[in-house]
Amino acid sequence: MSGQSFSGASRYVLDAELAQIVNVSMALEMPLLLKGEPGTGKTMLAHAIAESLGMPLLVLNVKSSMKLVEALYQYDTLTRLNDSRFGDSKRDVSNIEAYIKMGKIGQAFVAERRTVLLIDEIDKADTDFQDDMLDVLDQMEFDIIEIDKTIRTKHRPVIIITSNAKKDLSDPFLGRCNFHHIAFPDPKMMRKIIDVHFPGLSGALAEAAIDAFYKLRQLEGIEKRPATRELINWIRALQSDPDFSPKRLLKEDLPFLGVLFKKSQDFEQATRVTQRRARY
Amino acid sequence: MFIDYFYQLKDHGVPVSPTAFLTLHKALNQGLVQSLDDFYTVSRAVLVKSERYFDLFDQVFAHYFKGAELPDAQGLAMEEMVRAMLEQWLQNPKELANALGIDEAELQKLTPEQLIEYFKERLKDQTERHDGGKRWIGTGGTSPVGHSGFHPEGMRVGGESRNKSAVKVALERRYKDYSLEGPLTRSMMGEALKRLRHLRPAGPKDQVNVDKTIYQTMKNAGEIEIVFDSALKDRLKVILAIDNGGWSMDPYIPLVQTLFDYARAQFKELKTYFFHNTIYETIWGDSSRYKKPVTLTELARRDPETRVIFVGDASMAPYELMAQDGSIYITDRSGRPSIACLQFLAKTFRHAIWLNPVSSQRWPYTRTISLIGQIFPMFELTIDGLEKAVARLMAQ
Repeated sequence: MSGQSFSGASRYVLDAELAQIVNVSMALEMPLLLKGEPGTGKTMLAHAIAESLGMPLLVLNVKSSMKLVEALYQYDTLTRLNDSRFGDSKRDVSNIEAYIKMGKIGQAFVAERRTVLLIDEIDKADTDFQDDMLDVLDQMEFDIIEIDKTIRTKHRPVIIITSNAKKDLSDPFLGRCNFHHIAFPDPKMMRKIIDVHFPGLSGALAEAAIDAFYKLRQLEGIEKRPATRELINWIRALQSDPDFSPKRLLKEDLPFLGVLFKKSQDFEQATRVTQRRARY
Repeated sequence: MFIDYFYQLKDHGVPVSPTAFLTLHKALNQGLVQSLDDFYTVSRAVLVKSERYFDLFDQVFAHYFKGAELPDAQGLAMEEMVRAMLEQWLQNPKELANALGIDEAELQKLTPEQLIEYFKERLKDQTERHDGGKRWIGTGGTSPVGHSGFHPEGMRVGGESRNKSAVKVALERRYKDYSLEGPLTRSMMGEALKRLRHLRPAGPKDQVNVDKTIYQTMKNAGEIEIVFDSALKDRLKVILAIDNGGWSMDPYIPLVQTLFDYARAQFKELKTYFFHNTIYETIWGDSSRYKKPVTLTELARRDPETRVIFVGDASMAPYELMAQDGSIYITDRSGRPSIACLQFLAKTFRHAIWLNPVSSQRWPYTRTISLIGQIFPMFELTIDGLEKAVARLMAQ
């Protein structure tokens, strides 16, 4: 475990501050809680860590109705009931353990090597979910009640937790995590990100597109502001249009606004403003 | 170590916990912190758990480390003195030279670093106490008054900047946008109101009820019978009554609009009504308060478990609330003073609250606010107020 440190991956542009926080969290064996606007690469970070350290990645996508037990393990009662009734399966009905399936957290705990565990969008679940998770994260173990067995981590996974919420998670939960807020990348950083995604992209196009993108983000009254993902898709769209030249962007003639703005009100607003500007 | 720092953060309102402080020390002991920059990043990640406090943290950090590299084990007093001396020196070299009883020209020759060292030496002479220069953090080549140090007020004394120092980063206050004072946005409201729900089984029966299945199977002497239930869905009834009249609510229109938008998207059974200043016998289903009158008697027939949220500044002339024919509309002469109508509503709907966009500090200055506050629990229309309001609405 020691000696491994994270310094970025092939498709992920990392700023030094975040790299350090990741490394410290790994050394302290504490989960890292990431917040930030959608599209700032919270989820991507976990993928990048897994890739660069060569660890398997387990993703737990939290859903609103999720109970923690589902993330730990599931006891497949129905199958057992069926097996006991018809007796045509190879499983041993009297052995409950054969009917326990590990959830994502459980898999990370019993894995033979250190894994990266991404708990994505934890704010979606009830606060109960976080509260229940406290002990599991603290002790790095949980009990399977049905077979009275405690599952301990063989290798403490690198845990990355993301949250989109503006509101804070519960205090005891926060106390067990390290925290970082990923700010929206500035144009310079964005240029690097674009370069990573489009290695052969002409400088003029990248410059003009990023410039136009940040201007569009500034528009008043936009509910869902376009993020990195939208910009990347937009550039892809621009590239695929044979008639397109970067000069058009400078003249405020912006095609494919629908790629950037996903809400109809936002789209109308953006079209209105850009058309007004183009007239001058 | 850094206990001062910890308490300064705490005193300035950054919620820091002792556990986190211990974790920080664990990080220090493991040699994870090699420089002040590291210390900035690590202490923030470990101690501060919300971006809302990042700005505050930056300020405290910048204040505490005020442009200097990490202080010596001797503590801050010496550092402060040296800094003060240096500051004075920059302003008026002659005066300080005289005070120390040395030649100004002599001091002029020194580089700023030497100057600081010199001041320090002099101070040590005077206090006759020097507890050894044991440094806490790393040996990354950062002397306390390093080559790239900063002048107390952020002015550079000398040397080339290699990197942005942590203090400078902190001084940029990059996280100002996220601090608590920010306006209430839709997503923040969503967060606050999320807990406001009432789950009831609804929709198709597609979830297996294990307990019932086992029970039924037993009853059938082992013949499996699988019982299905329908999933839980939110079926909370909400009435939102908004004060949309008069100029007094004008400054809060965007805020109320956001709340309204969110509520409409969130709640399946939401009724919105409008009123001006306060409620008499009727409230209105349309925002122009003209086409769709709804009398209180009609309203009272709704489910008493309905959550009622009033939004208004509750600021008006006291007679509008208290007098029998207090309404400012001549057509509205019902006979019951508005305060009685409000009391009637409060009695009918036990889960009713009043959200007031006026900051709570200003509440005592308006008489009608405190009067209405006695009838309905009143909360500020901010993220914290909303949270409290939701807790109140969901209380049994």
